[in-house]
Amino acid sequence: MDLQALKKLEHQRRVRYGYMWALFCAILWGLWYLPGTVVWVLNPFDEMYAEIAAGSGDSIALLVTAVLITAFNALTVIIALMVWNGVLGKFGEMKRTLVEFKPCSKWFFLASIFGGPMAILGSFIAMGFVGAAFAAVAALMYPVVGSILASQWYGEKISKRAATGIFLIIVGGFVIFGGGLLTELGSGNVQWIGYIGGLMAAIGWGIEGAIAGKGLDIAEPDVGLTLRFLGENIIWWVIAVPLLAIAGFPMIKYALMAFEPLTIMVLVFAGITFGFCYVTWYKSFPLIGVGRGQGIGNLYGLFAVLFVILFFGDVPSWTLLLGGAFCLAGSFTMFSEDTSSLESLRGD
Amino acid sequence: MVQSAAAMELYNGYWANSYLPSAEILWMVVILIVALVALWQARIFVSKF
Repeated sequence: MDLQALKKLEHQRRVRYGYMWALFCAILWGLWYLPGTVVWVLNPFDEMYAEIAAGSGDSIALLVTAVLITAFNALTVIIALMVWNGVLGKFGEMKRTLVEFKPCSKWFFLASIFGGPMAILGSFIAMGFVGAAFAAVAALMYPVVGSILASQWYGEKISKRAATGIFLIIVGGFVIFGGGLLTELGSGNVQWIGYIGGLMAAIGWGIEGAIAGKGLDIAEPDVGLTLRFLGENIIWWVIAVPLLAIAGFPMIKYALMAFEPLTIMVLVFAGITFGFCYVTWYKSFPLIGVGRGQGIGNLYGLFAVLFVILFFGDVPSWTLLLGGAFCLAGSFTMFSEDTSSLESLRGD
Repeated sequence: MVQSAAAMELYNGYWANSYLPSAEILWMVVILIVALVALWQARIFVSKF
């Protein structure tokens, strides 16, 4: 076998692994909506919601409760990532990356701003106001933002096929948002905050992916992602939760009350699914590119709807299913692209 | 703090209409299996690249 054939074989192997990681991301992300939904009804979050709603109204109560749930989600994610990095023996690499702030870890801290307070909080808001299936399907538009940013910023190639996939995902997004909105406009009861939450998730995860793609030029995905969640934990536990406590919300009281066996168990499973889905998402970017990694990761919409139907017995509305089908068609269009065109992910 | 009766009723209500048997346990088993397979594949990946 000559050098060229070996190079081609190695490239094919890397692309295959890239798609495998993106698929793992999709399955685990879909599973995350199970603990992410049921945690809302558990103590102390239900009591926290009721107490704040009595004084400040339902919308504020939901937002503040979402902040505490998201903060705990970030905490359990970083524990899950420590296990992941421990098993892979990456602690030494983590220390090396952390100290290299300017060229390296700054990208992951920046990614945590868009991924945490914007995307994950938005997703929890959408789950709380509209429902798990909507939250899952609404964020399906994030590869559009991610791939356009990656293309404009650092010249990641977008082929005609990838552009077709992105177009299908946009159509799907309009059907998802438009369908739900029309139904609610008809009934005169529009949960605007829930829809804004869905939009926050789509834009936040798209921007995060593009920023992460830049950071992953020089850092390891497993380590980079752990630093990204370190940043998110700082945002929640050092900035947001104390600020809300100073503003008079009972954050500390309910944060301490969350250490209840069932609540902690559900949060741990949220941490495992979200931490592992995120790390496999990051691992796919250097192998197949941000656009494709996000495109295939988008199959989480299919898995989320499937798991919600199987485990909760909830069948989503036809607009959600139709929009989801468009998004999936877009993802498959990207997935079925000839891998030889991926030999160089960046433009020349 | 312990879970209130109302919280447990709502929590159990999520799994009550599931199409799968013992859904309240099965979702955790599924997550653990997928997570362990992912971790095992990550170990293989680290050794190859």
